[in-house]
Amino acid sequence: MAGHPHYREAHPLIFVITHWINLICMVMLAFSGFYIHYPFFDGFMGVARGMHFVAMYVVIINLTFRIIAAFFVKTAQSLDSREVDLDIKNWLPQEKNRHQFFETVKYYLFLRKEGVISAKYGSLQKIAYLATIPLTYLQAYTGFAIYGPTMDWGFFSGGLDLVGGPMNMRIIHYLGMWVFILFTMVHAYLANIYNFAPSKLIFLWKETVPEGKH
Amino acid sequence: MAQEAHGALHDLLAVRGVTRRDFLKYCGSVAAMLGLSETMAPQIAAALEAAPKLMPALWLNGGSCTGCTESIAQVDTPDVATIVLDYLSFEYFETIMAAAGSWAEKNITKRAEEGGYILIYEGSVMTGQDGYTLFVGGGPENEGAKKGTEILAEAAKNAAAVIAVGSCAVDGGWIYGYPNASEATGVAAFLQKEGIKTPVVNMPTCPVNPEWVVAMVVQLLIVADRDPAKFLEVTPMVKRTYTDAVTGEKVGLLMPKAIYGQTIHDNCPRRGHFENGEFVTELGSKEEAMGYCLYKVGCKGPQTFTQCPVTRWNRRASWCVESGAPCIGCGGLNWVDNNAPFLKRTSDIRIGDTGVQAGTIGAAVGAVAAAGLVLHGIGMKAAGRIGDGPPMEEMKAYDRKRLAKKGGDK
Repeated sequence: MAGHPHYREAHPLIFVITHWINLICMVMLAFSGFYIHYPFFDGFMGVARGMHFVAMYVVIINLTFRIIAAFFVKTAQSLDSREVDLDIKNWLPQEKNRHQFFETVKYYLFLRKEGVISAKYGSLQKIAYLATIPLTYLQAYTGFAIYGPTMDWGFFSGGLDLVGGPMNMRIIHYLGMWVFILFTMVHAYLANIYNFAPSKLIFLWKETVPEGKH
Repeated sequence: MAQEAHGALHDLLAVRGVTRRDFLKYCGSVAAMLGLSETMAPQIAAALEAAPKLMPALWLNGGSCTGCTESIAQVDTPDVATIVLDYLSFEYFETIMAAAGSWAEKNITKRAEEGGYILIYEGSVMTGQDGYTLFVGGGPENEGAKKGTEILAEAAKNAAAVIAVGSCAVDGGWIYGYPNASEATGVAAFLQKEGIKTPVVNMPTCPVNPEWVVAMVVQLLIVADRDPAKFLEVTPMVKRTYTDAVTGEKVGLLMPKAIYGQTIHDNCPRRGHFENGEFVTELGSKEEAMGYCLYKVGCKGPQTFTQCPVTRWNRRASWCVESGAPCIGCGGLNWVDNNAPFLKRTSDIRIGDTGVQAGTIGAAVGAVAAAGLVLHGIGMKAAGRIGDGPPMEEMKAYDRKRLAKKGGDK
């Protein structure tokens, strides 16, 4: 599972860049978000708000671009192959992951010894990654709903009425950030638990190829 | 006629020590509140002076602390707002009327039959205990005895319009807050449930700001020629929709846009310090005196839609935030549940009977997750998976089972 090669074909340069943009913006969003929630030092509110808005616009544009690119960019479909196909196929259900969801859960709960056969992304992994898409858009929605200039728009005020006003929306927006923090913790942990080859690939675009492979 | 009335108001003002100059200044501030030019002040003054004995009005008290009455009826010093309100002819006003007993109650019945009046309702509508609250007329066996909710329904049915003053009348206010033992609700929700179609104009805050009530009365008298239908037509309104937990009704609350259209944060005199990141961390500190922002001590201005910073309170002397207290959000819906604890940035999330802050929940979940990952990592190490990973299965467990079964069948 982890001893497999990490070829560049798994993450072409364009997705290395979108991943970087995402990481930087998410760190800025979390930091400025915590600051706006409770300013823990003085003199930064105007900057924090500006940073928060800009970073989120970038995240949304980046995410939308990433989704569209999935239909055009070719990536590897398998961990031990340089063979590429359209990236979107990695996000749809794949034959290799069939019947493997509960086996994956069992593996992580130490209820089985062997690693499970999977496509480039395992079933749990794929579900978690896909879930961040609606969550990101939801976070943008809840953000606009508590943002003065847009909260009166019918699209957002309807949501405010639904959750019982701006205070509740603020709390939802705040807890939404924690969902992303939890995701990032688990994501970073699982990606690097075996070795740092995945990080070398996604951040530095450096391949790790075990002996005997090419 | 106009001349006569002019004289009458002039005398009334003079008796209370209000000069004509004061009166015109006051009319100017009313004009500003209504979004009219200040040059309209003389017209407003003329309209007020020319008005003969005004519209009949009933002022009913529901489940409330009578704070809204207090707010409006303080007459220890001459107050223009009070005098102008004298021009509404109150035929029933529990707290300050001279009539008592069945005679007073008959005023409601009589006026409700004749129509052509506005109803001002203060306080929540308490529907609990089978409605045996605010009960009038001794025991239920007495002739003419009425529940509070029956009096409201009777008075509202024929009214030209209902003005719900104060947050309690709007949606139940603080009485509606958890656990709401009296099953208090707002006037609009109650009337909708009863199928009474009289339009309701909502004026939250706790208590209601008397200047806003005056503004609406003037709007009714001048701009709308005392026609409540026209009043609703020409007064820009915002609609805040909520689902009332007591009646289960989905209610669209109408509020005058000039008063409830923008947040306190939008117009706050401390707003500059917010943008600068200059905050009060402790009440009573130097920063508070310097006018720094009260955001960190729980100011709910960013999500409270009222004109407080513009109109101000206590005869336009000052208001909560200006005097150094964070806004507690009394102009919002379900305002206590949505804003308490008042000195915290966000309201508590209620789990059972205890309130928990969102920050505490986030930090706790984050800490548990971090500890879980560390433990899991130790487990991964112990299982020998670190490095090259676990040995891989040759075949999916599902396929193995199926194959074994097939083999068995053979």
